[in-house]
Amino acid sequence: MSRTDTPELDQGQQWQRLDPRMLLVHPVRELIRFLPAVIGVFLAGTASGNEVWHLVGVGVPIALGLLRYVTTSFRITAGRIELRRGLLERHVLSTPVDRVRTVDLTASPIHRALGLATVRIGTGASNEEEQLDLDSLPLARARELRLELLRVAPPTSAEPSEPAERVVVVLDPAWVRFAPFTSSGLVLAAGTLGVASQAMNTFGGWERLDTGGLVDGVAGLPWWTLAPTAFLGLVVLVTVLAVGGYVVANWGFALSHSDGAWHLRRGLLTTRETSLDDERLAGVSVCEPLALRVAGGARVSAIVTGLDRKQQGSGLLVPPAPRPVVLRVARDVLGTSGPVDAPLVGHGPRAHRRRFTRALAPVGAVLAATVLLVLVAGAPAWLLLVAAAGIPVALGLAADRARGLGHALVDDHLVARSGSLNRHRHALATDDVIGWTFRSTWFQRRAGLTSLSATTAGGRQAVTALDVPEPAAVGLAAAAVPGLVDQFTTQASVPARLA
Amino acid sequence: MPSLREPAQRVSPRARSMWLVGGLAQGAALLVAAVLAGLVWHWYDHAGWVLGALALGVTAYVAVVPAWRYRVHRWEVTDTAVYTQTGWWTCERRVAPMSRIQTVDYAEGPLARLFGLATVTVTTASAAGALEIAGLDRARARALVDELTLKADTDPGDAT
Repeated sequence: MSRTDTPELDQGQQWQRLDPRMLLVHPVRELIRFLPAVIGVFLAGTASGNEVWHLVGVGVPIALGLLRYVTTSFRITAGRIELRRGLLERHVLSTPVDRVRTVDLTASPIHRALGLATVRIGTGASNEEEQLDLDSLPLARARELRLELLRVAPPTSAEPSEPAERVVVVLDPAWVRFAPFTSSGLVLAAGTLGVASQAMNTFGGWERLDTGGLVDGVAGLPWWTLAPTAFLGLVVLVTVLAVGGYVVANWGFALSHSDGAWHLRRGLLTTRETSLDDERLAGVSVCEPLALRVAGGARVSAIVTGLDRKQQGSGLLVPPAPRPVVLRVARDVLGTSGPVDAPLVGHGPRAHRRRFTRALAPVGAVLAATVLLVLVAGAPAWLLLVAAAGIPVALGLAADRARGLGHALVDDHLVARSGSLNRHRHALATDDVIGWTFRSTWFQRRAGLTSLSATTAGGRQAVTALDVPEPAAVGLAAAAVPGLVDQFTTQASVPARLA
Repeated sequence: MPSLREPAQRVSPRARSMWLVGGLAQGAALLVAAVLAGLVWHWYDHAGWVLGALALGVTAYVAVVPAWRYRVHRWEVTDTAVYTQTGWWTCERRVAPMSRIQTVDYAEGPLARLFGLATVTVTTASAAGALEIAGLDRARARALVDELTLKADTDPGDAT
């Protein structure tokens, strides 16, 4: 694609350095990173009575920080952005500006105190080494650079009428109530407990803690008091952590649109600003995990071409929030309401039956194994009850999964919905479909079903409609991208020319 | 209602032999591993059963799968699209428009080289959408690569 570069980018710029204030940030960060080593060196120095060790301990991290400042520089020249870094091994990263998909501005508390921000330029390269990170620039310069980088993309036709920043949604503190319904609390709790027990282990806390007394005190209580108390304690811990995590990650969240790009801002301690070029926005995914759905919430993320799975975080458009808010934002981002609201075409009784067989088969196998264990190996009979309890759960899940199945083609968007524990409704612009995959196992073929995936260069790389009746799948693919699949159908009007 | 027909071209018949030899080699490796495991853990009294079952499985696989695979594996290239069909138990039909093709890859594995075969892989900007045609005759594969490169090149756009 040939694009005319804006003049300001054509005058081969000089190599620019990062902000000198980084000299304050890098050494501090290096000191923290080397903290164990530094402490070790200090202890060694104190033990040997040699003051030089202290100087080495502080000096090396500071020198490393200085080196990074001196050896890192960047420039934008002739439509390319180049980053030069490294002392012994010189790296020059260079990428065309029109390949820039996203520009992220992040600022840790240290950065914020100094008025700095780190610029991360997303080019779609999945390689960690190829990341273009400018750490750091003054906040104003960082924003200016972001504008420069994103402006190179050709403006969309609707742009001139919308010069000002339009704020679409800001965080309502009441949304925090959805935090406990996400899995993040569990993850945080597990992490916290892991770190805590590790620390206890390292510092010999277990020995010092009066575990004997604790066990004696606890053992006196009957189990029906103990179990609910422990459970309640865990629930409270998870809830507190989930709410804390939500607040830290999403405080000050705002989504706005200006200059042909969507801008996201969030973060309590480390602030993060993400910009998504309009051109790169291929669609949205509305996610409703079961717990969140029951609570009346949802979240939505963008499918951004050139962002791979690892960078999914940058695509989150609205954190867990009330469903109406999420749907409004989804409509706004897509510029049309059809893909979000339109009723979906169900996948028919055979697809439903498959949901039930797939949910019941493993439960049935477990039940059969338990029966065998009880009859042959003489296992306690109450195990049967436990195994049988899986059946209603499986039935419920299967029914919900069957109800969730659906697809549609609305307003040039392919829409597919599936899942129960983690329900998704994906809407992908048909322009961004870069291929089709029809996948079917022997069982699916026997039922006349196929799973249709529209591959794309963003998000999870594909949007899949599960277990679609085959004719409907072919019809959908043919209608979404005319002239592609038609030539391979049995009713092709234009005979395919063989190579 | 329309239905998708199979791609027009088959892969080289020699691909069957390649898959057969590949399956045999894997089966032999499995049997050797089982024998070694038997020697280490001393289940001599069950060894006959285990090895027999394994050998039966490998034989069934080798007898059925290469032919099944050969029947499924097909491909077709038109002026505007590439269409492949692969797999055996799970079948996949993939269609990619010529304008979205990013790379065309030609590869000869050690086994494929033995049979004068090659694999052509066509990738798009999506990590989920690579089209692979295995078991092509070497000369046919080279010609296909040239053809695809030429056709993909004439299409404008950055393929995302």
